[in-house]
Order: sequence, then C-alpha cells, then structure tokens
Amino acid sequence: MSLDTTETKVAPKRGMSILFSLTLLGLLLFLWLLLAFSTNSFWTPNNISNLLRQGAMTAILAVGQTFVIITAGIDLSVGAVVGFASVILAWLLAAGVPLWIAMGITLLVGVAIGMFHAFGIVRMGLPPFIITLATLTSLRGIGLLITNGSTISISNDAFTNFARADFLGVPSLFWMVIVVAIPAYVFLHLSRWGRYLFAVGSNREAARLSGVNVNRTIYLAYILSSTCAAFVGILLASRIGIGNATQAEGWELQAIASSVIGGTSLFGAVGSVQGPLLGAFILATINNGANLLNVNSFWQRIITGALIILIVYFDQLRRRGSR
Amino acid sequence: MTGLHDLSHRHDDTPELLETDRIPPGTPILELVGLQKKYGAVEALKPATITFLAGEIHAIVGENGAGKSTLIKLLTGVIPRTSGEIRWCGKPVPLADPNEAIQRGINAVHQEVVLCPHLSVAANMFLGDEMSSGGLMRKGAMTTAAQNVLDDLGFNLPAGETLANLTIGQQQLVATARAAMRGIRFLIFDEPTAYLTRQESAQLFRLIRRLQSEGVTIVYISHRMEEVFELADRVSVLRDGTHVGTRLIGETNDAELISLMINRTIEQIYHKEKLPIGATILETKNLSGPGFNDVSITVRAGEIVGLYGLIGAGRSEFALGLYGRHPCTGGEVYWDGNKVTINSERKAMDLGIALAPESRRDQGLCLNLPIGLNINLPVFKRLSRGLTISRKLETTNADKQINDLKIKTPTRAVLASAMSGGNQQKIVIGKWLSHGARLFIFDEPTVGVDVGTKAEIYRLFAELLKQGAGIILISSYLPEVYELADRLHVFRQGRLVASHDYRAASHEDVLTEAIGV
Repeated sequence: MSLDTTETKVAPKRGMSILFSLTLLGLLLFLWLLLAFSTNSFWTPNNISNLLRQGAMTAILAVGQTFVIITAGIDLSVGAVVGFASVILAWLLAAGVPLWIAMGITLLVGVAIGMFHAFGIVRMGLPPFIITLATLTSLRGIGLLITNGSTISISNDAFTNFARADFLGVPSLFWMVIVVAIPAYVFLHLSRWGRYLFAVGSNREAARLSGVNVNRTIYLAYILSSTCAAFVGILLASRIGIGNATQAEGWELQAIASSVIGGTSLFGAVGSVQGPLLGAFILATINNGANLLNVNSFWQRIITGALIILIVYFDQLRRRGSR
Repeated sequence: MTGLHDLSHRHDDTPELLETDRIPPGTPILELVGLQKKYGAVEALKPATITFLAGEIHAIVGENGAGKSTLIKLLTGVIPRTSGEIRWCGKPVPLADPNEAIQRGINAVHQEVVLCPHLSVAANMFLGDEMSSGGLMRKGAMTTAAQNVLDDLGFNLPAGETLANLTIGQQQLVATARAAMRGIRFLIFDEPTAYLTRQESAQLFRLIRRLQSEGVTIVYISHRMEEVFELADRVSVLRDGTHVGTRLIGETNDAELISLMINRTIEQIYHKEKLPIGATILETKNLSGPGFNDVSITVRAGEIVGLYGLIGAGRSEFALGLYGRHPCTGGEVYWDGNKVTINSERKAMDLGIALAPESRRDQGLCLNLPIGLNINLPVFKRLSRGLTISRKLETTNADKQINDLKIKTPTRAVLASAMSGGNQQKIVIGKWLSHGARLFIFDEPTVGVDVGTKAEIYRLFAELLKQGAGIILISSYLPEVYELADRLHVFRQGRLVASHDYRAASHEDVLTEAIGV
C-alpha cells in the first residue's frame, strides 16, 4: 500500500471549517444586503421575523438530518414525521390530554420512529434510503387514516400563540433553533458520541474493532433525526393551529439541501452543526427574497437547485485546493 | 505455444511505432536521464539516471516514500516530470499522458486491483476495448477469447465468472492477464504478490518469465528480497527519492541491497531479545468458530506466539473469534486462569486484548478522518471529562503516539489516507498502545511495509514484551514468524496442525505443514 505521501491531505481543521462557515455567513449577509437595497419590504421587523420563522423549522430538521448523513446514511422520512407529529399532537389534545404530556408523547413517537429506522438498518439490513422511504409514505398514510383525510384543529390558545410570540424581540421559533443547536453542537463536536458518528460514517468495521458500539451509534443518529422532526411537528402545529398529515411535503429535501449546502458530505464523515443552520437560513432567504421580488415561484425552485450545485461545487474545489 | 501478442485482437491496430521500433534484446529500450519530480518544494524524485534494457527483468527496491510510486507514475505518463529526459528506443519522448504510454506499449499492474468488481472476468479484460459488430458487443466471442488467454497463461480461472467472486489474488492475476494481452513491450509490476497465495505467486512468476522470453521488458517492484533474487536480472535501489545504485543480481546480495536501502544490516531487522517468560495470560481450549476449529494455544507474558499458514488458513478468523467479532461456537477461553466469555469487541478490550487487524484499509483505519481521531478512537471514554472530551487530553494522547512511533506527519489533523502504508500501520498500532493492553494480536503487521518500518515495528514488539505483554503474531511471511516467535503454530484449513519452539523446525518443515503435502 505505497500511497504517495507527498500529496498531504490535511483534514478540514477547525480553522478551515470556521472559514467555510464564515463564507456561508458572508453569503447570507450578502443576500440580506442585496435584498435590503433592492426591496422596501425586506428590512422590516415584520419580514425579518417572518424569515426567521420560515428558516427555523428547516434548520432544526437539517441539524437532525446531518447526524444521520455523517454516519453515511440518509433520512427521507423527516417531512412525513413532521406532518405525522402534528396529527398525533392535535389528536391527543382533542382527546383532552394535557399539553405538556401530549408534547412529551409526540416526542416519544419521534423516538420510536427513529428506533424503527435503525432497527430496519441494523437488524434487517435494509439500506437507509429504503427504510426511510418506506416510512415516508406509510406515515403519511397512517396520519390520513387517523384524521380520516381531513385536519384536526387545535383549540389551545396558549399553544397556538407560542409560534407567533416574540421573546426579547426575536421570534420564539428562532429561540427553538438555539435550544436545539447548542446541545447538538456539544454532542457532535465536543462529546465522544459525536466522534463515534464520524468514525461509523468513515469506516464501520474499523470503528467496531476499536470498541465503538456501531449499532448503538446508528440508533442514536436516527433517533435524534426523528425526534428533531417530531419537535418541528409540534412547532408547526403551533404555527398553523391544526394537525394535518399532508403538511411539510418535501421538507426532507429542504433539510438535506440545507445540510449539503452547509458542507455535509453525503459520503459520510464530514459535517458540522453550524453548516446546516446557515444552509437553512440561506434557503429561507432565497425563498423570502424571491417572493418579495415577485419572482415566479417556479423560478425559486430552479434557483435553489442551481445554488445547491454551485455551493457544493465550490466546497469540492476548496477541499481539493487544500490538499 | 502462441505468443501472447498474437492473442491480442488489437494486433492489427497497434500503433506503427511498435513495429518500426523493434530493438534487439540487451540494448537500452527506456532511458531516464536526470529525471526529476518535484511537488512544490518537495523533491519526490531527485535527478535519476536509470537505463532499462530490452527483455530484462529489472527490480526496483526501496522503502515506502523512497520514490517508487513517483517513478511508476512518471513512466506511465500519469504525472508530468519537472525536469530531465525520457528516451524510448533511443529517442526522447514526451510521455505526457497515460494514453501515450499505452500506445508505446508501456503498461503497469498495480498493487491494488483497479477493475470493475461487478463485471465478468472477460468483460474486465476487454474493458474499454470491447469486440463489437455493428455496434453490438460480441459477448460470447470475448468470453471465448478471454478464456483462451487465461488458459494459455496457465491461470486456472473461469472467464465468465463475476470478478467480485474471485479472491484478491485471482483478481490480481486477471489484471495481469489484461495487461498481458494488450500488445505490451514494457510492463511494470507494483508489489504484485502482496495479496497472492504461494501458488498464485508461482503462476505469476511463470507468466513474468514467459513475457520476458517473448521480449517484454519487466520492471518489478517489491519489498520481498527473495522474489527479487528469484526473478530479476538487475536491481536498482531508491532511497529518499535518490537512485543510490543499480546492480547485476549475481554481483549483489540481501545484505548489500538492504544496506543500500536503509543503511542497516539484516541482523538488526529481526531484533530478537531473550526475555524472561512469565505467567500465562491467555489460554484457549479447543476453541471453534466460523472458519477455525479446535484451536488450543497458550500465550504467556513476554513471549511472541506466531501463527503461520497460507492466506485463508483460519488464522485471522481465529483472531477475530478470540476478539469477540464473530461468536465462537465451542471451546473455552481462560484469561489469567479464569474462564471468560468474550462476546463483543468491547469485552475483549476491557479484558486487555488489542487487535491490529489484517487489512488497514478495510478494518484498521477511518481513512478520511484525521490521524488524531484514529489514534484516540478506542480511548475517547478515558479522554472525556463528564459529557465532553477534554481537548487537552485528546491532543496530548495523539501527539504522544505520533512522537513515540515516529509517524511522519506535520500534524495530527492530517487525514489517515494521506499516509504511506508503513505510517498507516503505525497509526493502527498507536491506537492500541494508547488503549494499553496485555495481549496484542498483530495480524499481518508488515504487509506493504518497508524494511525500515518493519525493523521499527519489531523493536516495538520487544518493548511491549518487556512491559509484560504477550503477543500473537499472525503472518504469511515465514522469515518473520520464524525469526521472532518463541512458539510457532502452523494453521491449515482452519485447524492448528503443528507447533514448534523457537527455531526448532526448519523452514521447509514448516512450509510443508502449512501446505499439507
């Protein structure tokens, strides 16, 4: 195995990944400046809170998704889990279950869905793509069965006001991003379980022979992803005041796109917490800006696609250049 | 017997230069004059002047990082040279891209098989060069033609089989056959026997000699001295990017080549100290599991127990079974005299067993992660304070192993994939040194590792033994286990067939037992 030692590949060190994050942050600020100067309505408190609310839910999904992608997996079900969780919560509330208990049960349903994914992957040997694709369609089906194809409205005002509320002038939904992101950062970058996610994504067998409990690590990743999704389901229910199984259609793709824009590698073992957060808000800004500029919503989709290609391409160039 | 070149269906469209440039054997076919390659400021190959004669087998030896890979890449047009001249048949040539090299008849068989595992053997042999009529592939004709080539070469391989179903060794032979049928005049082998069994190696050697008799010039790169002496007519030595000399094989010996390569004598490589042997650490009684049967061995503190056998004899399976990777189906394991059940890797590690597995790439390392993370992987629990990892403990531990083992890297943040084979092996070892263990299992620790690093690894064994550890050394390279093991067990077909004390049996006896004739 006489690999050439002369082309030394240095890992995206902390400095390097900070640089990448700063580039993304720069892009985000550039977009904001651009929109602030080209429209009258962008830089208004109303629109900024709206933007933060729009981005918040994708951001939380993207963080959960990133854990899974780092293990070289994928979770296609998160959008369906969001819709499903909103149904479960509305259903429980309609049945008279107290709010806090209903939210706790909804989060546990998220945990259970994640466990089922990991069970399919670890015990049944199914590819992550397949098992999460299967739950993507079945969860929507179960949700529709529960609601009989309609929606369940939520009458708890304290709950539905939450999503519209501000705290210290910042939308409460954005605070939820911080509530998720800080523990997520500690988990992924500072704890040993985070290192195990990277190791499993890089080489499962080597991780196993080094004493890493690979199965447990995979369970952990999928549980975190589904639980984040169930949490977003609660937030969505609060925002729209109903439980509806068909909500959050396509959000899984938004989450994956945010993660990838944020520098996560779909081959596993590369990723961060701050990257997907920035990615999610960049996507939200593009959508928001396109609306304000009266750009046809069909164009928004095209622009998003082009942006994914561009950013990931530049990231590839950067990685190649840093060798 | 038909010549290999006649088997090539591309014979008609091979470039004219092949015909016009016929030159008599023994005269220079390829000359390197002051050939140099720089990567930035690093001089990977210092100006080298080497002449290859038509129809010779020219061995190139050197440690990892000595410049062998760079030389191959220059000769096959994969990378451009920085300065110097390459003369082909007496005329300077650009040799600037791989296609030019192939057109001139220069081809290389790489150590790692670079073929498509899902395609058939025949499809791989004809890949990029398919026989077709009217735009449709002539699959049957290709399979027949490929089978003829394989039979003619004496490789007992089915052309219709899917490549992935063959062993790595057999795949290597397919790669060789592929190169051999392409109208070659100059063929480079890069460590071709690293994954081959003895029989496969013998087949390969027959093929090499046959190509030579048909006028093909062979460049043979290997770490194994006995192969160089068996095959080569001349040998060139590289050290640290410098061409330090070329010798006729009859006018040199092991000792001289090794001293040219590393400035060290052969006795200093197999560094064996007489150490006192202590209490029994591990004993297996009639242990059975997937791939091994009824194995009883004892490992005591301060001793090396060697497991020798052919590839697939069940030694690695035994090691993995002992380490809890695969469940054992029968027999007992005693640790310090107490009966234990090892049903997971974690359990083995907690007892004090460490395993440096057979394949660095597949089992040993997370290649696209930093060296530091790889070294710390088994011990993150110890490096954590509360919920988080202590950055200080993490860096000190990684840096300590990097310094102690002399891993050649600027920082611990370099990816493991950027390291040479020898340095990668050191990372695997460092991982287990930082974990600390009382029984170390080293499975083929020196495959693809140069002589200098080998000597370092053997010296490390002695260090571990002095600290009271026991070692199980698994190797397919007989001199290594023979010279180092205090007790040598021979495996054949999953069973332990013979055991000897240090140097109690001859090489021939051990070999016979392993092959089972």
